[in-house]
Amino acid sequence: MDFSFSSDQQLLKNSARAFLDEHVKPALVRSLIDDPRGESEALWKEMAQLGWLGLSLPEEHGGSGLGMVETAILLEEMGRAALPAPYLPTILAARAIAEAGTPEQQQRWLPAIATGSARATIAFLDNDLSWDLSTATATRAVGAPDRWRLSGAKRFVPWAHVADVILVPARSQKGLSLFFVDPSTAGITMSPAPLMDVAGRWSTLALDQVSVTEMLGPSGQVGALLNSVVLCGAVGAAAGMLGAARRCLDMAVSYAKVREQFGQPIGSFQAIRHKCAEMLLEVENSHAATYYAAWALDAKSEDHAVAASVAKAYVGDAARKVCSEAIQVHGGIGFTWEYDLHLYFKHAKALEAMYGDGDHHRELIVRQVAG
Amino acid sequence: MDLNYSPEDVAFREKTRRWLEENVPRQDLKTLDERKAWHRTLYEAGYVGMLWPKEYGGWGATPMQQAIVQDEMARIGAPPPINGLGIGFIGPTIIVHGTDQQKQRYLRKMLTAEEIWCQLYSEPNAGSDLASLKTRAEDTGDHFVVNGQKIWTSSGPIADWGILLCRTDLKVPKHKGISCFLLNMRQPGVEVRPLKQITGLSLFSEVFMTNARAEKDDLIGRLSQGWEIAQTTLGYERGANSLGRVTRYAISYHQLVHAAKELKRGGRPLIDDPVVRARLGKMYAELEVQRYAGLRVLSGLNKGETPGAASSITKLSYTEFEKRFYETALEILGPWGQQMVAGEDFEEVDTSSGEPGTFATAFLWSRAGTIYSGSSEVQKNIIGERVLGLPKEVRADRIAR
Repeated sequence: MDFSFSSDQQLLKNSARAFLDEHVKPALVRSLIDDPRGESEALWKEMAQLGWLGLSLPEEHGGSGLGMVETAILLEEMGRAALPAPYLPTILAARAIAEAGTPEQQQRWLPAIATGSARATIAFLDNDLSWDLSTATATRAVGAPDRWRLSGAKRFVPWAHVADVILVPARSQKGLSLFFVDPSTAGITMSPAPLMDVAGRWSTLALDQVSVTEMLGPSGQVGALLNSVVLCGAVGAAAGMLGAARRCLDMAVSYAKVREQFGQPIGSFQAIRHKCAEMLLEVENSHAATYYAAWALDAKSEDHAVAASVAKAYVGDAARKVCSEAIQVHGGIGFTWEYDLHLYFKHAKALEAMYGDGDHHRELIVRQVAG
Repeated sequence: MDLNYSPEDVAFREKTRRWLEENVPRQDLKTLDERKAWHRTLYEAGYVGMLWPKEYGGWGATPMQQAIVQDEMARIGAPPPINGLGIGFIGPTIIVHGTDQQKQRYLRKMLTAEEIWCQLYSEPNAGSDLASLKTRAEDTGDHFVVNGQKIWTSSGPIADWGILLCRTDLKVPKHKGISCFLLNMRQPGVEVRPLKQITGLSLFSEVFMTNARAEKDDLIGRLSQGWEIAQTTLGYERGANSLGRVTRYAISYHQLVHAAKELKRGGRPLIDDPVVRARLGKMYAELEVQRYAGLRVLSGLNKGETPGAASSITKLSYTEFEKRFYETALEILGPWGQQMVAGEDFEEVDTSSGEPGTFATAFLWSRAGTIYSGSSEVQKNIIGERVLGLPKEVRADRIAR
C-alpha cells in the first residue's frame, strides 16, 4: 500500500510543472482567446516531443505504455495552467482506438497521435445531453456492411474544429456503434459553441447523410467501450479540475498573505484563514479521490467504476467551491478580466459539465451500491 | 503508487479476522470488569498497544497493522478496548517525556487496563483557549497541592489516574506557567460529577480538585514545560484509526440504504425517489473520499512520515463529514429517524455506527466530533497558520500590555 507517487511519477509531475510554468503562462492562454484554432501548433509538437501525447499509448505504436495515474498527473498540471489544447479528447479517442481498433486502424492513427501529427475527439453527446450513451444516442447510421450514412446532431464536441478524426457514436440496425468520421466529409456542418472557458473549445455538429466507411469496435456493441472511455474522461476531467483548484488555492493564499486591510494582512483574519483551510481540505480530498480512481482504472480493481464516478462527482463540487472561494478571498480584483483567477475558475467549470456531471455520476454510484 | 495491500498485510488481516470471529464476546459487555477482561484478552492477543515499543509492553506493530485490526473490529462489531485515551495519548506522552520511574510505574498497568486513565485539560473557562486554564498547583515542599475544576473529562467516573495541566507560575505569560502532572484520581480531594450529554448518556464528567495531592515524582518533564508537552499530546497522529472509522460509516450507510428500500412514501420505496438517490449518491461519494484520504494518510504513516499539523485536515474532514452524513440520514428517514429506540414495527432505524443505538443517537453523537480534541475552528486556525503559512491573527492576549 503506497499512495505516494513513485520517483518516476514525481519526476513526470515536476517536469510537467516546469515546462508549463515556462511555456504556458497566463499571457499565452490569453493570446489564444481570439485565435481561430484556440491552441498552439508549436506547443502541441513540443508536447509530442516530451512524450505526453503517447504517454498512455502502447509502445509498439510509439507510446510509453503508461497508465491513468501518469495521465492524471499530466492533466492535473495542464489544468493548473489552464492549457488550451485538445489533449484529453485526443487521448480518449486514442484509448478507444487502442482498445477496440483493428491493427490497421491502430497503425493508421496511434503513431500519428503520438507524434503530434493527428488530433482526435469523440462526439459523445446528442441533443438529449445524457451521458448514458447506450440509451441516449439518437444519431442514426443507415446502410451496411461497409458504407453507412450518419444523420443527427452532436453537441458540445470538444476541439472538433481541429480534429483530424472524430469518433461518432450512432445507432445502426445492430445497435450502438462507433464510426470514424473525417471532419471534411460532405454533409457535416460544424459551428462553434462558444463557452466561457478560455482554455477549451466546443463545436456543434449537424450530420446530414454523412458517408462513412469505417467502424470502431464491434458493430452494435460499443456501449461498454464508450462507458469505459467516459469513465476515463471523468477521471481525466477530475484531474484537470484538481489542478485548476490547486492553482486557485495557491493564488488565494499568496494574496491573503500580502493584501492588507485594517492595517494587517487579510490572511490573519479568521474569516479568510478558515476559508483557505476549507479550500485546502477540499483540494487534498480531491487529490485522494482523483488518484485513487486513476489507480483503480489502471488496476481494474473491483470498485474502479464507482471510484471514477466518486472522483468526478466529488472533485466537481470541490473544485467549484475552491475556485469560487478564491475569487471571494480576492474581492474586487478577483472579478476583473485583468486578473488571472478567472482562467482557472472557468476551466474547472467547463470540465465539471463534461464526461458526466455530478448528478449523473451520483446516480451511477447509487445504481452500483444500492441497486 | 500502488494501493494493493501487501501479502503480509492480507495475511495479517485474515489472521485477525479469524481470531476475532473466535474470540469476540457473544453477549454485550455490561460491567467494567467484563470490559477490562475483554481489553486484557485483546492486549494479550497483540491487538492493544500495537504501536508502543516492545520495551514498554507494546507490540511494535506497523500503523497499517493497527489500522487493519481496527477495521476488522469495526467490521465484526467488536467492543473496543477501554483505555483508549491512556493508550492513544497519555502513554505515548509518558514514553516521550516521562522518567524511567514513571514509565516503570504506569505504562504496563495502562496497557492492561489495570488502571484507567483520563485527561484533565479543559476547564469551564478554558476551552479552545486552553492555555488560559486556572487550576493551580502549589509547591508545599513535600508535594504539590491542587485546586481547581476540570470539565468534559471522558471516563472520569472509572478513571484511576489523570494527566493534569495546571498553573504553577502566575508571574509569567500564560503559556509559560503551566505544568503537567499525573494525578491520582482515587483520593479525597478529587470529586467526579457525571455530566449528562445531549444523547442522554453520561460519558464525561466534571472533576473538582480541592486540596488534592500531586506528588513531585509525578511531574512530567520540567516545571512549567506543561504547554509544550500538551502540544505533543494534541499533535498525536490521527491516521491509524482511519480504516475502522470509515468501515463503521460504511456499515451505517448500507443500513440507511436498506431502510430506504423498506420505507415507502406516496406508495413507492424511498430508494426510487430521485431526490433521495441524489442524496445517497453524494453521501457515498463523500464516504469513499474519506476512505481514500484515510488510505493516503495511512500509507504515509506506514513509511514513517509524520503528518504533524496536516493531521488537522484529517480530523476536520471526517468530523464534518460525519455531521453531514447523519443529517442526510435523518432527512431521508423522516420521523423514523428521530426514534431513540428501535421498535418492532421498524427496526431499520438502528445503526451500528459509533455507540450502539439508532440513527437519532448517531446524529446526536455526530455533534461532538467537531468540538472535542480541538474544535473545527481550532483545526482551521492550525491549518491556516502551520500548513498554509498564513499570518497569525492579532490577539488580545498576545498584545504586550
